Amino acid sequence: MIAGPLVLLILPLVMAGVVYVLRRWATLSALLAVGTALVLGIAVITLSLDQPVQPLLFLGQERQIAMGEAVTLLGRELVLEQADRMAMTYLFFTAAGLFFLAWRAAPHSLLFPMGLGLLSLLSGALLIRPLIYAALLIEIAAALSVFALQAEGKTPTRGGMRYLTFTTMALPGLLVTHWLMDRYTLTPDDTGLLSATAALLAVSFALLLGVVPFHTWVPAVAGDAVPLAGAFVLTVGNGAVWFLLLDFLETYPWLNTHPLFGSLFSTAGLVMVVVGGLLAPAQRRLGPVMGYGALVDSGSALIALGMHSKLGLTLALLSLLVRPFGLALVAAGLSGLRARNGDDDSFDALRGLGWRAMWSTATLILGGLAVAGLPVSAGFVGRWALCRALMPSSPGVALFLLLAGLGVMVGVWKGLSALLERPRSPEENETQEITSEGWLMAAVLAVAILACLWVGFFPQAIAPLAARLAETYTFFVP
Amino acid sequence: MPTLLDLLARVSFLAAMPAVAGVLITAGILVVSRDWRLNVIAFTAQYFFVVLLLTRLIQLEVATVKGLIGWLICLVFYLTERRVSMLEQPLAAQDTTPPQRWQRWALSARASFCLLAAIAAAVTAYMVAMRFPLPEIPTDITLACYLLVGLGLLLVGLSEAPMQVGLGLLTFLSGFDLFYVALEPSLAVAGLLGAVSFLIALATAHLRVAQVASGDERKTL
Repeated sequence: MIAGPLVLLILPLVMAGVVYVLRRWATLSALLAVGTALVLGIAVITLSLDQPVQPLLFLGQERQIAMGEAVTLLGRELVLEQADRMAMTYLFFTAAGLFFLAWRAAPHSLLFPMGLGLLSLLSGALLIRPLIYAALLIEIAAALSVFALQAEGKTPTRGGMRYLTFTTMALPGLLVTHWLMDRYTLTPDDTGLLSATAALLAVSFALLLGVVPFHTWVPAVAGDAVPLAGAFVLTVGNGAVWFLLLDFLETYPWLNTHPLFGSLFSTAGLVMVVVGGLLAPAQRRLGPVMGYGALVDSGSALIALGMHSKLGLTLALLSLLVRPFGLALVAAGLSGLRARNGDDDSFDALRGLGWRAMWSTATLILGGLAVAGLPVSAGFVGRWALCRALMPSSPGVALFLLLAGLGVMVGVWKGLSALLERPRSPEENETQEITSEGWLMAAVLAVAILACLWVGFFPQAIAPLAARLAETYTFFVP
Repeated sequence: MPTLLDLLARVSFLAAMPAVAGVLITAGILVVSRDWRLNVIAFTAQYFFVVLLLTRLIQLEVATVKGLIGWLICLVFYLTERRVSMLEQPLAAQDTTPPQRWQRWALSARASFCLLAAIAAAVTAYMVAMRFPLPEIPTDITLACYLLVGLGLLLVGLSEAPMQVGLGLLTFLSGFDLFYVALEPSLAVAGLLGAVSFLIALATAHLRVAQVASGDERKTL
């Protein structure tokens, strides 16, 4: 019998090696990466946790997989629980979607092997107990993601370096927390230990989630890195951090009864929303606009969690579930545009490019709508539900959320107006190189656009998943 | 022939304030200097002093392994910079313009500012160590921890060049490791922290080579 957690750790790691070796054959390596992530996602969500299932042919012998079986690795326990199961499904399916887009948008990047390696590490972070090992695995994943973020000899190195810096600075707080909680178990009268733990956790997660003033890595990753690798970090990597935060809240229930819990989350989220909404329209490049859009989105999820209720948790998770649709579309569009423009995404350099890269431009527009949380896009589902929930109690916060969305859209609009600028003269038009995006690229982007519109028009497809995921956490009473 | 453990045992008399002074000097050099040769030597020496201090908290063998990881990291940095020097040689040959007088002053001003900032950080670390002693470790090691963390953060904050930031992050992690080994002596944690340090070094080397290949170096110094 094979324990499920081991499969989730080892298979992506093995496939990462295979995909790295086959990197020269871009289509094969991309499809292997997509297939691996999809198979693991389907396995996690469909296989029963309670009993061994599905005989598996392994080294010529029939083996069974027991997904729910705990396994001990180097003296640490790895166990797949119900909450982790949903979280890992999210990670695997999001990664599959990003790999699918990268197949045409960034076929020669290191995203495929590194992404699979990251999936293994992030799965380990969600499965392992105690949680200090999760912090270490997330730090290792951050260091590994630098290789995917940095294009070879092309862009500035700021994005990867800043991401690594902030993640490293978050590590000590998370590690010391474990020791403080052990001491509290021995001396329960010393409540100062609880305060120190709460403070360390707050600072560490602020660094990991890019809360203002520790947000500078978010626009740097979005602006300087390979766009789809940046989207991977902001969805899969950031998603793992969110689920780790929820695991901490579940493991230490006294955290959510802390008197400052609600106000801390709401204030941090509101500041992120305001800063993102103000700085997005001031950008002169599309990459950082995507970063500030992600900042607003993270801020809205923190505001939802600050509502201190099951509804708030559901809305935070809904925001997390729909985020990949917007960021992946913007990143794919950006990749297409950068590929035709010498890796430059400044508004001045993009002038008139929209007429030569129609599919990338359309993808960028719809992704921009989703990141801004505006109607007909997937992002609207989470943002509008949160605004409606906030309206009776905090109308000001809801107004700020809507305005921040408009701010992000202004940034996207400025890029769009540059992209759709008509060539000044027929001569200039003739000298411009006509580059076709190819039918395969168009088909891939069309599938992504349709998926985003489908979630926007039929939110009932994804909202119940957020509710079910919220049910697996018990730290908020209904 | 004496083993590495024997050699470390022989110099164990340095594993108190002399090692703390060594940590201060080497981390200070990292903050002030932009000469990669000097930086690699200072970083190698810094790991030596950290290992000496670690021998007072954990088994000599474990401390030695941590030291070996550190010296491997130094080797990675050395090889990276050698490679970068080879990549930069054609560019340097083209750029034959002698430095202007004001440029020499600008460099000097930067080094002076870094030196002042390093002194301020060291004084702050001393004050904090006196006021907030860390649990489970002696006072001199507390001071070394605060010095490494403070000067590491300063190094990260003063530059966006990958090598400087990488050295800063590893200095910061060394300071934390010195404290954390006393709290969590688990070998699994020690191994994972070693892996973290090594991967940070590899990521830094990757970014450093990418920086030179993209010709972006001057912007980030």
